[in-house]
Parts: sequence; C-alpha cells; structure tokens
Amino acid sequence: MRLVIARCTVDYQGRLAAHLPEAIRLIMVKADGCVAIHADGGAYKPLNWMNAPNKLSEDGDTWTVTNPAQESLTITVHEIISDSDHDLGIDPGLVKDGVEAHLQELLAADPTTLGDELELVRREYPTDIGPVDLLCRDAEGTAVAVEVKRRGEIDGVEQLARYLERLERDPILRGVKGVFAAQVVKPQARVLAESRGIRWVEIDYDALRGIERPQMRLF
Amino acid sequence: MAGRASTTRNVLPVLSGVRLSLTGDRLSVTGSDLELTITSWIEVAGAQDGVAVLPAKLAADIVRHFEPGAIEIDATGDRPRVSGGRSEFFLNSMPADEYPSRPEPVGESVTLAAGDLSEGLRQVVKAASTDDSRPVLTGVLMAAEDEGLRLVSTDSYRLAVRDLPGAAVLRAGQQVLVPSRALNEVARVLDEDDSVSLVLSENDVTFELGDLHITTQLIQGDFPDYRKLIPSTRPQPLVVNRQSFMDALRRVKLMAAEHTPVRLTMATDSLVLRTVNTDLGEAVEEVDAKYDGEELPVAFNPEYLLHGLEVTPGDEVSLESTDASKPAMLRAVDSEEFLYLLMPVRVS
Repeated sequence: MRLVIARCTVDYQGRLAAHLPEAIRLIMVKADGCVAIHADGGAYKPLNWMNAPNKLSEDGDTWTVTNPAQESLTITVHEIISDSDHDLGIDPGLVKDGVEAHLQELLAADPTTLGDELELVRREYPTDIGPVDLLCRDAEGTAVAVEVKRRGEIDGVEQLARYLERLERDPILRGVKGVFAAQVVKPQARVLAESRGIRWVEIDYDALRGIERPQMRLF
Repeated sequence: MAGRASTTRNVLPVLSGVRLSLTGDRLSVTGSDLELTITSWIEVAGAQDGVAVLPAKLAADIVRHFEPGAIEIDATGDRPRVSGGRSEFFLNSMPADEYPSRPEPVGESVTLAAGDLSEGLRQVVKAASTDDSRPVLTGVLMAAEDEGLRLVSTDSYRLAVRDLPGAAVLRAGQQVLVPSRALNEVARVLDEDDSVSLVLSENDVTFELGDLHITTQLIQGDFPDYRKLIPSTRPQPLVVNRQSFMDALRRVKLMAAEHTPVRLTMATDSLVLRTVNTDLGEAVEEVDAKYDGEELPVAFNPEYLLHGLEVTPGDEVSLESTDASKPAMLRAVDSEEFLYLLMPVRVS
C-alpha cells in the first residue's frame, strides 16, 4: 500500500469528464493496482478512483492511470508532503458479524433452542451455492437446515430457500425442513417464511449466553 | 368490525378485502386472515342478491367519511360502486370466488352472560404474550374449573387467573387455548347486558354475539403448568387502597424511562414507591397501607404492576411477597376470583 499526501489536481476522462482543482489530498495506490484519491472527509468514499485492473505510469509530476475501458485518471502533483509504502500482507477477509457468528456457535452447541430434540450434524454444511449455517436432524431423522441471522429479513429467508432447494436434490437429505433463526424476525420475513413452509424462530441472545435479565421470569 | 380480521400479510391477496354477501335484505360482511374470521349481519334494503369483495380498509374509510345517511353499494358492474350523499367511489373489486369459504360452526352451543366474561377477558387478555415465537403464550387458557370457567394467561413475566363460577362452558377436565387477539376482539364488542354463545369444535371456537360471529382457530400445544407457579403459602399481606396505589404509581412512573423499575418498600403500615432515573432524577411517594411484616424491598416493571392494579377488582388490594426474587401476588381483599402473579425486577 502506497500512501501519498500531495497537493495535486486530478482529471478523469471516460464516461464523463471530471476535474478536481488543486488541493492537498491522500492518494492511495493499493497493491492490486487500485488508485483512490481521498479528501480529509467524506467517510470511506474517495473523490475519484480507478479500480484494478489498470496501469499506473509516473512521468515526473504527472501520474496517469488507464484501464482497459480507455478511461484515464491524470494526477498532476504540485507538491509531495508525504510518500510512504507499507506491506499489509494477506488480508484474512471479512469476518462475520460477531453477534451472528456467536449466535451460530451457541445454537450449534444447543440446537434444542430451535426445537425439541434437534441434533447437530454439522456447522457450515456445504452446498454448491454456499454453506448453510447449521444442518441438524430432528427426532424422526429428518434433515433440518438452519440459517442464522442477527436481524431476520426477507433476503435471509430467500437465502435459506435457495439452500433448501439445493439440499433437496441430495437423496440423503430429501425432505429437508428449514428453520430461519434470528434475534428479531421482521413481519415480512415471517410471512415469506411461512408461505415457503419455513419455520422461523426468534432467539434470545442474552438467554443463550446465560446472561440474567433484570426482569425475572415466572418460568 | 369484520375488516379488523382482514389482513394484507397473507399470501392470499383477497384476504385484504371484506366479503359482502347479500341474500334478500340481509347483508353479511366477513373479514378473515384464516386464523380469525369475523362476520356481521345487517338488515339492508336489498335489490339483487350477490357477492363482492371490497378492499377492507379503503371501504371502511370511505363509509366512515360519508355524510350521515344511506349508503348504496352496487356490485353488478365490473367495478363496485359505493355511494353516499353526492359522493361516488368506483372500486377495483377483488375476485369473490377466491375468497375462502368457512364451514358453519359445528359443535355444542353454550350460552353465558356477557358481563362476567367481558370483565374476565379485560383482566386476562393483556397479560398474554404478543411474541409469536411462543404461540402457546399468545393464547388465553379457558379451562373447566369447579363447575365454572377459569381464564388464564401469561407472558412468562406475569400470570393472570380469573375464575367465572357457574359458567359451565366446558366439560369437566376440558381446556382450550384461544388466541388472545380473538378474545380482544370479543371483549371489544361484549355488552354487559348481553349474552354470548360459544360454539366449540375440535379446532376452533365461535363466539356468537347476536348478529356478530367471531371464529378463531384454537392454539395447539401445552400451556405451562401455571398451578405450580402459584405460591402454596400466603405470606403477610400488605393491604392498600387500590386507587391510592395506582395514583401514586402513575406519579412516580413519570420519572421512569423505558426499563426503569419501580422500587417498593413494604414497611409497617406504609408502602413507599420510588423510581430512580440517572438522567432525570428521582421520585418518591409514600402510601398508607396495613402491614405488620418485616420490611421488604422489591422492584417491579411499573407497567406490569399498573396493569395488575387496574384489573384487580375492589377498593382494597392485597400485595403478598416473600422475597425480592420470588413472584408477588396481587389480589382483591374481598374476592378470590382474580389473581395476578408478577415477577420482580432485579435491582442493585
């Protein structure tokens, strides 16, 4: 990762023309070739950028980034304030939301929270379109696929429905049932799940973690 | 009224409508979400028998906004016309043949006075859970008890039990679990002086109130064993004027945020209520009471406590508690027919 803080002007030519007048900015040149020009604000979004694959050529004060679509980003450097290189190594990738991953872990440890006599077969059971969070068997031996979300919304139900369709093709799992588990299942997701024959369950994260709530229960 | 059972959340779009069926001068209006079905009949000046389904909410809004006077519905064309005064609405109708039909309720009909049932429902329905993930707790248990009827509901934080002596609706030992949502609708329309007939079949129950029938599916499943939750020993009660208790609670509750408990201290001949809100301050009020037990601090969710006080009958109520971590019992001093059990809130 190369980080350059410089007084510069930037011109983009491609689907449209855009010009950034002279100012101090951060130029990020990533190891994969991506170039992004940031101001000191605006959250994560750069003022202008060019995704990889592209080609960066430096000719004195003029940097030119071009890509196969013949778009070009021309950076004219008037003053370099800082120029440093850092090796960030290999990124481990996006880790699932902590609560969601922990929910999956807790439910895997005690699937009976989702229904009587469920037994875990495997976490992250693979299908050819991605792994389903939990695969269990119920008391009758029927396969039960469980998708775990922190917030249960329609897209989560759709995702589970796709997994079920793939799992149903496996003769060992045929007749597989679906359970959609979340801390909160939105009303639209409940309707969609019920219409697809998928059972939904709201999970009490605190109770699963054994955290006592101030409001005590009768049972 | 029928439109209250219609739904936009069902896979059958036609259920967002109300079904109107005219036979002679009698018009039936039905709304349903398949679990709850409400049908009312009214006398009209009928011109031609027929059936139509109109969008429930829109039709109700239109009729509500008409000038006082007669309303005319003409469903003979492609688009039913609803008119009143000088207003005319042409509604895109919904396919009447897709509206699911319900068989007439079959079963033994039992009639009881509406007054007691109305009060009983008012006392218990609100204590039922609204969390659909535990369906059995969203229902009210109706159970035969000592040649009468017992109504029980719980959301796991509180339990309401009401006995209706003499209301022999069920066979000895019989019990059914009726969705609280349906009973809420029944309670809304019960008139103290009326009678109500219950027709109970294997999977549903119909409440017949004159020209209004409310049918609901029964909830299948085992209701928690509530009897073992009721303490067998009766500790020293604190007796307090119900209205004074409620007034004081409503005042100190002003200081409570969403999860702020009300802290009660039961002391000799007094009850002290206190709420502490770290952002706003503190409220304290003392209420006269009769009590000669040991001083006992205990905290409750103020909403649950207030609801218990609101539905407990009589001028004086008895609050019985043995421990800040055990359920407290609220009941009328001069009646054993209603019991409200409430779990405390843990406070530091």
